[in-house]
Amino acid sequence: MNSFVGIGYRKEFSDDFVNREIIRPSFVEVAPENWMGIGGYWRKVFEKITEEFPVTSHGLSLSLGSPDDLDWSFLKKIKTFLREFNITIYSEHLSYSKCDNAHLYDLLPIPFREDAIKHISRRIRDVQDYLEMKIAIENVSYYTPVAAEMSESQFIASILEESDCHLLLDVNNVYVNAFNHGYDARDFISSLPLDKVSYIHMAGHEQVEPDLIIDTHGQNIVYPVYELFDFSVERLHPVPVLLERDFNLPAMFVLQQEIDKLNQITQKHWNTTNVFSKGYIPTAI
Amino acid sequence: MYLAKDTYQQQSDLATYCRSGKLSDNLEVLPRRVKHYRRLVYNVVNDSLVSAFPLTVDFLSQKQWNTLVNDFFSRHKSQSARVWEMPKEFCEFFSASPTPLFSTYPFLTDLLWFEWFEIEIFMMEDQVFQRSTTDGDLLKDPLLINPEHRILPLSYPVHLKNARKINPDEKGAYYVLLFRETGTGKVQFLDISAYFSLLIDNLKKGYPLFPVLKEFQQHMDGSSLEQLIENTLPFINKLREIGFVMGFKENQ
Repeated sequence: MNSFVGIGYRKEFSDDFVNREIIRPSFVEVAPENWMGIGGYWRKVFEKITEEFPVTSHGLSLSLGSPDDLDWSFLKKIKTFLREFNITIYSEHLSYSKCDNAHLYDLLPIPFREDAIKHISRRIRDVQDYLEMKIAIENVSYYTPVAAEMSESQFIASILEESDCHLLLDVNNVYVNAFNHGYDARDFISSLPLDKVSYIHMAGHEQVEPDLIIDTHGQNIVYPVYELFDFSVERLHPVPVLLERDFNLPAMFVLQQEIDKLNQITQKHWNTTNVFSKGYIPTAI
Repeated sequence: MYLAKDTYQQQSDLATYCRSGKLSDNLEVLPRRVKHYRRLVYNVVNDSLVSAFPLTVDFLSQKQWNTLVNDFFSRHKSQSARVWEMPKEFCEFFSASPTPLFSTYPFLTDLLWFEWFEIEIFMMEDQVFQRSTTDGDLLKDPLLINPEHRILPLSYPVHLKNARKINPDEKGAYYVLLFRETGTGKVQFLDISAYFSLLIDNLKKGYPLFPVLKEFQQHMDGSSLEQLIENTLPFINKLREIGFVMGFKENQ
């Protein structure tokens, strides 16, 4: 069976992952911040996970879009973590979570501006040089533009070009942003340099106001997002697809149903055996 | 630096708003939407703190708790990139800058630290365990103690009773030994006296029990060495039973 779909690993899943009859992801994604530099019980659990699954990583706190200096000591810990567990995929968000020397622990939107493009591209290049690998940046959901001077797609495309990094295409975020800011999600995806996409995120969201959706990762994926995923997959080469579920966790079989559905869609368009099978290297990675 | 001053200011104003709720007139955002960022950021911080300090949350009223979290988040610049470590900064912040609530409840700082250290010991990086043997002389051979531990000095018995039952006149010198069980990774804690706290400090330096007790005896009026040994051995045996004393250090 073709298999492209993994799941964001959470500590709440640990018992269910022991028995793989209920949930069968092709890989798991972890946030390095939650697993690096720890010991004891969770270290043992993590070591077991790395033995049983291919592991990818998705950072939370590097704050690529921050006006502050890059946190090199933190980056060093990231590199050590990736090397220790032989993790070859590392992505981060196109946003900032630290400013004026204070962590905020959430993703704030960056002004879509030319100077921000140059600033962030430089930082991404520095990170890639230091890590000795290309990274992927995720298009984030945002609820208000901040002093924007260009479109979001123009902003993303410019950074991808100037930094020579990959794109983690979060399809749900595209849907959320299209709804919140009144643009066409398909047009948005078509306008991106899709050859740069090396990874996909899929998740659920929550509508909190008549004209506002929040990217909560706390609900099941809705049908229009599956449709947008289908539209995207048809235009992409095979890449890992990740199901994110962080809150309001359902029974594991529900998550497996979502994984199955995502796999069905990928199988319509992609025929590579497994993005993590030996010898398979997605062209963009 | 490529970033223009105005772009930096926009980012700074948004971050400041999220932390303090103060919205700059210069910040170019949709006012109706930007409030969600403050809510979301606050929720992450609050959730992490609630998860770290269940006893404190249970003790305080919702209003008191919210005031603490708001005070912390608006005045403190969190340094840890790992959100699970941020509660330690909460303890440090209120230890250095206590609010009037800490005068009303003088044991509150102790309660926060006690809750934090359970997390810290549970999560701490694996330490190197020296090789041990079960064969040895309890008095003459160096004991191997579990290096994944911490002795926490407290002024109130927050580790012994519910915070609601603690009286101000119970202020004193309390010590809690917290350590991580090697098999399960669970954190055990044990109320110990100042004397045993000092004893453990010496044992972990690698001194055998007998010379340590001999040294102690010289500073204690009225106790014979034999009495000290008699009083101390049951404690050492208890530490062996619970796995804190892991045996005797093997000769290198």
